[in-house]
Amino acid sequence: MHNSMKRSWFIVLGLLPALLVYTVFAILPILQSFYYSLMEWDGFSDMVFVGLDNFKELFQDELFWNSMKNNVLVVLASVLGQVPIALFIALLLNRKLKGLKFFRTIGFLPVVLSTVVISITWGLMYNFEDGLFNVFLRTVGLDALAQNWLGDTTWSMPSVLVTVIWQFIGLYLVIFMAALQNIPEEVLEAARMDGANEWTTTWKITLPMIWDTVIVAVILCISGSLKTFDLLYVMTNGGPAHSTEVMALYMFNQTFGQFQYGYGSAISVLIFAFSLLLIFVVTRLLGKKML
Amino acid sequence: MKHVMNSLLFAVLLIALTACGSGGSEQQSEASDGAVELTLWTDWTEDRPENTAYKQTIEKFNQEHEDIKVTIEAIPHDQYETKLRTQAAGKQLPDMFRVWPGARLEPLAKGGATLPLDPIMDTWKDVIPESALKAYQYDGTQYAIPANISLTSLIYYRKDMVADAGFETFPKTYDELKALITALNDAGTTPIALGNKSIWPLQSVYISTIADRFTGSDFLPNVLSGEGTFENPLFVDSLAVIDEMTKLNAFNSDLNTIDESQARGKFIAGDTAMHFAGSWAIGPILDSIEDLDNIGVAPFPSFAGGEGDPSAIAGSAGGAIALSSQLEGEKQEAAFTFMKYFYSDPLYQELVKANIVVPVEVEVGDDVPAVYQEANALMQGGITPVYDATLSPELTDLINNGLQSITLGDMTPEELAKKMQEANESAQE
Repeated sequence: MHNSMKRSWFIVLGLLPALLVYTVFAILPILQSFYYSLMEWDGFSDMVFVGLDNFKELFQDELFWNSMKNNVLVVLASVLGQVPIALFIALLLNRKLKGLKFFRTIGFLPVVLSTVVISITWGLMYNFEDGLFNVFLRTVGLDALAQNWLGDTTWSMPSVLVTVIWQFIGLYLVIFMAALQNIPEEVLEAARMDGANEWTTTWKITLPMIWDTVIVAVILCISGSLKTFDLLYVMTNGGPAHSTEVMALYMFNQTFGQFQYGYGSAISVLIFAFSLLLIFVVTRLLGKKML
Repeated sequence: MKHVMNSLLFAVLLIALTACGSGGSEQQSEASDGAVELTLWTDWTEDRPENTAYKQTIEKFNQEHEDIKVTIEAIPHDQYETKLRTQAAGKQLPDMFRVWPGARLEPLAKGGATLPLDPIMDTWKDVIPESALKAYQYDGTQYAIPANISLTSLIYYRKDMVADAGFETFPKTYDELKALITALNDAGTTPIALGNKSIWPLQSVYISTIADRFTGSDFLPNVLSGEGTFENPLFVDSLAVIDEMTKLNAFNSDLNTIDESQARGKFIAGDTAMHFAGSWAIGPILDSIEDLDNIGVAPFPSFAGGEGDPSAIAGSAGGAIALSSQLEGEKQEAAFTFMKYFYSDPLYQELVKANIVVPVEVEVGDDVPAVYQEANALMQGGITPVYDATLSPELTDLINNGLQSITLGDMTPEELAKKMQEANESAQE
């Protein structure tokens, strides 16, 4: 008894520095954002308290809703694109394959590449005049299919989404492969002894056993997509004509481009609320109480 | 995990920043050998001839003044203004700092962060023209002195391509320019290299001058004070020029996905006959094009029915340093001495050697490239306001994105003018 008391005190003591850092650099700024969101402030002159005016304005701001719509598209593309594709490839790679390491490295490469490099490279590939895609289409005689991928409001968002999906497949691939390798060989062997084929083993045993990992991946995916910023900032800067603007980008432009710190903070608060809500809903749907 | 990493990184950054901050103020208070120390914040981080000229002049000042020592702290351009404003909010400005004109200087002057230069203004009387000084005035008081003039609307062109299209001299009117564009297109040459991904070129380079040609220079101040309206047909006509040029295929088809320097690259590579840009393009063009005799610089064409001065070009005065309003006594004296020394002939001569357009008359030697001389001569017609140096950030954002929408056919000139007027009215309420 005495011993365990002592130990828990020790744990608290050990956690304290981290907690302190976390409070100062994560919790406090969030609370500050809440505070600033009630102000009209250009970051320089005196703050004026305006109550919920920023939020009222925000709810009528077409551009904000446009950015939220785009953000939802990113979330959908990530959850429905990255996770299933990564899972599929992981299942394929989870066998005694020659050159497994090679494939894994290839798959993981986009994750370790700098986002700026990815954005610029894909931007060049999408270029209308001399980009890889259009040059290819024109070479094989499909001139009609060549598009102004990033420069046309119809195609800009789908084009960007392809890059987003491509960039992060590798991350989930590695997570899923790690989970798959943790499934005890005996379980699978027992299933095979009972006469289960590949299909049944995958559906009835492998997938349920890594389901927790899948949920974590989905949540990571959602929170990552809601924060998405750098790729779009470099690749399109939200353009053309706001067609690829997401919430974080809109918040950044309002705050630091137009010096509306109060309004920008109000956007951050909404992003915060929206993220919490979405993750809450998803964890409920997938049947796990993570929050 | 990523989040924690971010917070940690942020913590390290913050510590670094505050450490720098306190370091700076220590430097101010302790004068090592009795000399008055002045700290100057700039964004001269890039290795450009212009920045070298500034830094060398300050070095020379320090050598010639034993009792004053100016220390430079350079901050990258893109972070500079955010940092300046944040520090100003905390009343922690350095003794001297680089500022930008018009709408960007206004909050600092209004908030009383900058020191009026009235006591030393005689130094520049009849030396720097009023039109250049005006950019750094607020409420009739001068707060900074410009070092250069950044013209935003020049037309660079390849003489051989224009001649091949049947034009012996560069078009003087818009109708002739349209004929040139059509002729170039017929010959299979892309007429104009434009990179509008960063959305300011169409506004800064094109509209600033085109709109002035249509409406005259009184238009902007009138509209902003509520006497005029953006829905003025003349302003709408100027926006319609962009629409018309796009429909004429005047630009490269990837105009909305490449940035300004990529567009300049196209022109330099000889892919297009023209490139519309500011005086900032002179240096890179001089550096990269071998056959310089083939490059010409022309002013914007005139527009039929316009009310503005057809010889003026949009431009703004830059390279200005303002003083902190907290400077007193000995330090204020020292700062004034520095300002008088810095903004004088030797600096302007160095800048001219670096092919920078300056607001004062400087004797130009024969070795100065023709492209620069032509651009410099165009400034003599007078300068008109640049839109993003005059409009509020909100209106700037509207017109930037609106012009992009016009090139995409998503918005008409009338709709953009209406939107801008609505925003203008709600800002005045």
